[in-house]
Amino acid sequence: MRTLPAWTITVLSVLLITAAWVGVTSGGLVRDLFLPGPLDVWSGLMELIDDGYKGRPLFLHVGMSLYRVGAGFVTGALVGTALGLGMGYMPKLNALAAPFIEFLRPLPQLAYLILLIIWLGIGETSKITMLFLAALPVSAIAARDGVANVPPERVRVAQALGASEWQIFRHVIFPSALPEILVGARLAAGIVYGTLIASEIIAGSSGIGWMVMDAGRFLRSDYVFVGIGMIGLAGIVIDQALLFIERRVVHWAGR
Amino acid sequence: MLNGFATRRAALLGAGATALTLPGHSRAATPATVNIGFFTETKPTMLAKGDGWFEAGTGGKLNWTEMGSGADINAAITAGSCDLGLSTGSAATAAGIAQGLPFKLIGMVDNIGPAEEMTVRTAAGIKTPADFKGKKVATPFGSTSHFRLLGFLKTNGLTQRDVTVLDMKAAAIVAAWSRGEIDAAYVWAPAKSKILADGGTVFPTYEALDKAGYVIADLIVVRDGFAEQYPDAVTGFIKAYGRALAMYLKDPNATADIVAKQAGVTPAVALSDMKEYDFVPLAEQATPAWLGGTPQDPGKFAHVLKGTADFLVEQRSIKSAPAVDAFQKATDTTYLKKALA
Repeated sequence: MRTLPAWTITVLSVLLITAAWVGVTSGGLVRDLFLPGPLDVWSGLMELIDDGYKGRPLFLHVGMSLYRVGAGFVTGALVGTALGLGMGYMPKLNALAAPFIEFLRPLPQLAYLILLIIWLGIGETSKITMLFLAALPVSAIAARDGVANVPPERVRVAQALGASEWQIFRHVIFPSALPEILVGARLAAGIVYGTLIASEIIAGSSGIGWMVMDAGRFLRSDYVFVGIGMIGLAGIVIDQALLFIERRVVHWAGR
Repeated sequence: MLNGFATRRAALLGAGATALTLPGHSRAATPATVNIGFFTETKPTMLAKGDGWFEAGTGGKLNWTEMGSGADINAAITAGSCDLGLSTGSAATAAGIAQGLPFKLIGMVDNIGPAEEMTVRTAAGIKTPADFKGKKVATPFGSTSHFRLLGFLKTNGLTQRDVTVLDMKAAAIVAAWSRGEIDAAYVWAPAKSKILADGGTVFPTYEALDKAGYVIADLIVVRDGFAEQYPDAVTGFIKAYGRALAMYLKDPNATADIVAKQAGVTPAVALSDMKEYDFVPLAEQATPAWLGGTPQDPGKFAHVLKGTADFLVEQRSIKSAPAVDAFQKATDTTYLKKALA
C-alpha cells in the first residue's frame, strides 16, 4: 500500500473528530451545557453576529482583541529585537540586561496583573503593556542568540575587506541573525496570543478572550465554543502569515 | 424551548435515580470526606468552620476549597468534585437551577441586604441615578452585586450605553479605585470597606431594589448525589450553621473574635461587616417567607430565583429559565426542618 499524503491524514483526522462530535452530541448522550453540538454552536454564532455580546457587536470584540495582540506583539518584538541585537553585539549591554530579560521570560503574566493595574490603570495601556512584556524577552533572546551564532569567519572576512563597524553590522551580522529573529517573532506571537485572555481579565468588558471567560461563568458553552473557535482559527491565520513572511524574507535560511 | 429543557432535566434526574437504586450500592451512614466549596468571609459560617462544628455535624473529614465565585461552585458540583456549597450567591444558584444542574438549595447563610451596595466616589458628585451617565462603574460579573447593579440601571431607565460597566475582581476594583479610574463600584466587604475609606460614599440602592424584586442572598446548596447518600450529614451541616447563627445572635462580640481569626481581620471589622447582613434564623428560613413552599404554591424565594433567572436570560447569560415551580422543586427544606426538630 502506498503511504497516504500528509494532507489527507489531516483531512481525515478533522473529519473523524467532527463526526465524533456530531455523534456524541446529537444522540443526546451529553447535555449542551457540557458539550454543545455543531448546531448549537452555529446558532450561537448567528446570535452573536446578529446581536453582539453584552452590548458590543461581535466584530468589535474580535477587533479589540486583534488590536491588542497586534500592538503588544509589534512593539514587544521590535523593542525586544533591537535590545537583543544590542545584547548580542555588545557583551556589556548583555551583562546589563540579561538578568532582567531572563527573569521576565518565565514569569506568568497573571502574577503581575494587579501591579499593572496599579501602575498603568485599567485602560488599553495596561493590557497592551502586558502583551508587550510577554513578547519582549522572547524576541530579545532570539535576536541575541542569532547574533551570537553568526560564524566569526564571516565577520573577519568583512573586516579584512575593510568594512566599517556599521557595514559589518548592517550587511553581515543582521542578515545572518535574521532567520533566528523571525523564528523568535513567531514564538513571541504565540506567547502574546496565549496571554490575551490574561490581559483581558484586567477590566472588561470587551475582547474575544473576555467574552469566552464571561460566557463560561454561567456555562454558556455555545458562546464559549464560538469564542474558542475564533481564537483558534485566528491564531492559525496569524502563524501562517508570519511563516509566509519568514519564507519570503529569509528564503535562504537553512540552505 | 421550555419543553426541551424539561425533558432534559427529567432525563438527568431519571439517570441519577437509576444510579442510586443499582443493586450492591452501599449506603454508609457518614461520609469519609466531604468536599466543601466556600469563601473566606466575615460571617458566623467561619465560627462553625473554625470551631469544628461543621466537621462534627457531617461526621466526615472536611475538605475546604476556596472558590472564586458562585459560578465556580456550580461547575464544581456539576463535575462531582464539590458536595456542599457554602455562601454561594443567589444569582449563580438561579442560573444553576435554570440549567438543571444536579443540586438542591437547602438553606440560607444570609439575606445580603445593604452588605453589598453601590459606592460612589465622593468627588464625582453623584447624587441621583441620572448622574451615573457617562460614569464608569465596576463590579465582578456574574455576582449578586452585578445582578443588583444591572437591576439598578434597569429600574432607573439607564442602559449600558449610558454607563460603562466594567468587569473586575474585587481586588482589582480596589486598585483601580485608588488610581481614580472608576467613579463607582458595586461590591462587598472587604473591598467595599476599603474604597469607602478611600474617598467613597454609599449610594443607597438596596431598599428600592429589594422592593422591585432584586433580592440577593448567600445560600447553602448540596449536590444531589451526596444528599441522597448522606442525608444525615447534610442535616448535621445545617444544624452546625444554625448553632453558629444562634451564637452570633446571642453574643455578637464573642462570635466576631473567632470569625476575625478565620478571616484574617480585626474583631471590630468582623463585627461591623456582620452587622450589614440580615442573618435569617433557620426557623424563619423554612417558612414560605423565605425558602418554604410547594411547587403548587411557591414561596417567596422561589419567585426571587425565578425573577433572577429571567433577568439572566434577558442578559443572555443563560439560555432559558423554567417556570417558578421548578425553582421550588430545586429547594429542599427537609434538612432545615430536621435540623430544627
